[in-house]
Amino acid sequence: MNTGARALSLRLRSVSYDGRVALRDIALDVGRGEIVGIAGHVGAGKSTLALVAAGLLGRSMPATIDGTIEHPLGGRPPAAFAFANPSTQLTELGETVEEEVAVGPENQALPSEEIRARVDGALALADATRFALRLPRELSGGELQRVALASALALAAPLLVLDEPTAQLDPGAAAEFASAIRSLSDKGAAVLIVEQNLELLAALADRVIVLADGAVLATGAPYDVLGRVPPLDARLGSLRAGYSTPRGRRTRAVDAEPVLRVESLSAGYGEHVVLDGLSLTVDAGEVVAWIGRNGAGKSTLARTIMGLVPTRAGHIGVGATDVTSLPVHERARVAGLVFQDPRRQLFSRTVLEEATFGPRTLGASRASALAQAREALLVVGLGGRESEHPGDLAPQLQRRLAIASALASRPLFLMLDEPTAGQDAEGRSFIRAALEMQRSRGAAAVITHDLKFAQDVCDHNVTITHGHVSHIGTISLETDFSAR
Amino acid sequence: MTSALDRWNPLTPLAAAIALVLVAFAGPQPWTPAAVLALSLAIALASGIGGKVTVLTLLVVVPTFALLVLLDAAFPEPAAETRWIPSRAGTLDALAISLRLGAAIAALGVIVVGVAPRRLTRALAARGLPAWAAYLVIASLEAVPDARRRAEDVLDAQRCRGVAVGKGTGVRGRLRALPALAGPLIVGLVIESEERALALDARAFDARGKRTALAPIADPIGEIWARRVIWLALAAAIAWRFWEFAHSLVIAQVSRS
Repeated sequence: MNTGARALSLRLRSVSYDGRVALRDIALDVGRGEIVGIAGHVGAGKSTLALVAAGLLGRSMPATIDGTIEHPLGGRPPAAFAFANPSTQLTELGETVEEEVAVGPENQALPSEEIRARVDGALALADATRFALRLPRELSGGELQRVALASALALAAPLLVLDEPTAQLDPGAAAEFASAIRSLSDKGAAVLIVEQNLELLAALADRVIVLADGAVLATGAPYDVLGRVPPLDARLGSLRAGYSTPRGRRTRAVDAEPVLRVESLSAGYGEHVVLDGLSLTVDAGEVVAWIGRNGAGKSTLARTIMGLVPTRAGHIGVGATDVTSLPVHERARVAGLVFQDPRRQLFSRTVLEEATFGPRTLGASRASALAQAREALLVVGLGGRESEHPGDLAPQLQRRLAIASALASRPLFLMLDEPTAGQDAEGRSFIRAALEMQRSRGAAAVITHDLKFAQDVCDHNVTITHGHVSHIGTISLETDFSAR
Repeated sequence: MTSALDRWNPLTPLAAAIALVLVAFAGPQPWTPAAVLALSLAIALASGIGGKVTVLTLLVVVPTFALLVLLDAAFPEPAAETRWIPSRAGTLDALAISLRLGAAIAALGVIVVGVAPRRLTRALAARGLPAWAAYLVIASLEAVPDARRRAEDVLDAQRCRGVAVGKGTGVRGRLRALPALAGPLIVGLVIESEERALALDARAFDARGKRTALAPIADPIGEIWARRVIWLALAAAIAWRFWEFAHSLVIAQVSRS
């Protein structure tokens, strides 16, 4: 590590949006070859700090910055940025993935040979070479995140700023990503990384800054700062929070009726077969994790159960109902799905109205819908925010609102797609509570790459590989981010 | 989508289309626009996009012709005795206007349907089109499919909450579902436009200098000369047209004096 020259020097008295202070009294230097991590609870100001560091705030996004931002190493641009939501990163100027990654270097007016070298290098570092010629809109969330990373890497800026870069990556891809970031820093790149995955941050960063309510709470070596018991900030949690003992698959009663029955299910998009004869069951009272590599078919399984992807062969049963040929809105009476992006569903004027929409649509009386909604909001930690506008909530809170909305409809079987992405310890505990409530009413499945959460909350995991179940068992936490 | 036009540098068919449009408006009427229309449809047919271009042209030309004839019939010359019967002169005028419009739509339709937008912006970027302008072109062309994809996502999310759409829903049901479908779509567009502006800053869209390309589009010398000939011929035609106009003015002046 060579920290002789600085790639970033920030001296901020305050950063505010419309008079609301988001950051205050920040002094931050990032040296060449240094990896600095930023941690903090939801709403602590991490993403704002990342945007300021990249020199992006105060340009197209209005903000008042009182202080100085210097990039002493220069560069055009001096910093590259990867967004937490990968679809934000994509310009659509490129038809294929490699053309999309090339957009930045093309804007930098580099010769074709250099663009080619940058694109190939960035795709390799982001482990995205295998889908270089595919269309970005056909990729899964995790695959898109790699493309977004590659797009940032291709700019070859002296400072790389990453906002939640592994939120949608499977553990293997996250470990490969960590190793790629290390090799970049070994070559002299400075890296500033915002991350909720404390294990990854501790293994990757040379130094960590913990933010709380817009100010620096602590700074120092990762294990010193993040490993404190009790934690520095209960909302953030601690590295040493410990793991629960895996529950293991419950012994099924002989006459137990599974809540979900999927038999020889085949489904796909156009000619692309995603699920190939998949069979599984989920029993009453179970919470299971559906895990697997990006693009393995986990989200497609959930979408097929809901009827959003047509069933080509096989049967799906929820409770006593065979839902295989039912339309989506009929399936919603027995099953629920919360998508990765909650913004696709929120539309009401208040949080409470949003949570009552599902039960009301399914025929509940106003009084029952209100009671069910209030109960669900309380469980996900939004009890005191019923009159707020959903659009004013942080994305992590919007996700919890979407979960509450599904919970309020009281489906027999509930599926959550990447519910913990971007959540702090507090948020994860609320989502856990929501799943425990669902366990008492029926069963649930969590599509996740967050193996720690899966181990803490789920009874067992179902690994999906190339569209079929390849393994059922307890969660393994053997992913080693520190492996070089 | 690929078409036979992909064999060319997109600037060549673009130059030809622009030239055809100008010729259709500047040449003798109504035979020049009729010839341009026929030529454009023939090119479209030969490029494998004849059906789409013909439909596009008819969609504009037929209603325009009908409307003009209707207007002529509804508002006849003061001297005319009959109402609601189109005059011969009015019908010929409507035909001439519709032919000019049809020629322009068909010529430009060949470009819109037959040339991949990203190829076109890459070729224009090689000529100095700024990155932001290239983005604007693509974003405009992608606006409809993008909105459709977004709407499908919203629809999926709300159907999973029990919203019924499609057959058998009824007008009341559809009206009730409207806020749930339109709300996230509109809010999403507003929020994502802010994020998109940030993303463009993050992808070096403010960089100076002529944009380059990962895979530059070939521009053979033959095509460069072909475009030069097109522009020269066009300039000559316009100059001749001006000369002819100026000449007629002078003659009129002389005969008056």
